Amino acid sequence: MSVLERPAPAEELTLLELVDRVLTKGVTLTGDITLAVADVDLVYVGLRVLLASVPTLDRLRDEGGA
Amino acid sequence: MIETGTETGWYVYGVVESDVLSDDAVAGADRLRLVRRGALAAVVGPVDLGEFGETEIVERLNDPAWLEEKARAHDDVLERISRDATVVPLRFGAIYLVLDDITDLLDERREELLEALERVRGRVERGVKAWADRERLEAALAHEQPQPDEPESAGRAYLWRLQAERVVAARAAALLRDVASSAHERLRRVAVVGVANRPQPRELTQRAEQMLLNGAYLVPAGDLALEREVDALAAELCGLGVTFELTGPWPPYNFVGPVQTQP
Repeated sequence: MSVLERPAPAEELTLLELVDRVLTKGVTLTGDITLAVADVDLVYVGLRVLLASVPTLDRLRDEGGA
Repeated sequence: MIETGTETGWYVYGVVESDVLSDDAVAGADRLRLVRRGALAAVVGPVDLGEFGETEIVERLNDPAWLEEKARAHDDVLERISRDATVVPLRFGAIYLVLDDITDLLDERREELLEALERVRGRVERGVKAWADRERLEAALAHEQPQPDEPESAGRAYLWRLQAERVVAARAAALLRDVASSAHERLRRVAVVGVANRPQPRELTQRAEQMLLNGAYLVPAGDLALEREVDALAAELCGLGVTFELTGPWPPYNFVGPVQTQP
């Protein structure tokens, strides 16, 4: 799937809901751990930028909802 | 730092009780295994550090296809395990180089993990989102607004309309805030516990409707009370252009962290 082939809204929502849970909830471990995705906000922002880069951005801006 | 693409790390998906699952039951296609320590066991699987290494994973997180695949895999494992055992989900990306470090972790976090297991035993998480068709609501509210008898001039009519629009927008915003908080309160009452997460912005949801409620609720497995309450809310609020979506059951991602506080 390329970035520009935007999936249907329902699929997108499911992915968002999944990513929201898997990346931002759940028990976090620190200490001896080699890697923990601590920069979740970064990922979230990255995902938002990515999703916002689809053509609907103009429409959202027109609506004043963005 | 890991440089080679062939080394193996251990990805930790979640924690279960050590005596509930057999190693064979866990193994499956993902070559999972249990790392036991006392009453607890971590569900772990091998991952290629060429993908999941400290620097590599950060690069790949920006690849939406990769992120989707791995997030789904994480959830799939937890979903499969949760069919046969109570599981405490870990957040995405907990990777260890040495299995012994995982047993140490189970020792260190023992109390907290046992407590979390008790909290979610026999229960599942459901997601409820409420959406508002803001335009439809504002149109309905505008209809109720008093109309001026006879506009004295085009200029006055314009000012009057601006003012009326502001009033309607403020009423709509207040109404939707009430709807969101009372819906969450009603859902929370039929659940063991509930949490209202921050609604996702339109840039993320890509929907014309505004997300009012982004709730997660812990309910007894198989219990239909939450579902019925969502149906009731949907029926009561469809006149306002408010719709509901119920998702799950999910592994209890929202209910294994530090004690939940109500917003």
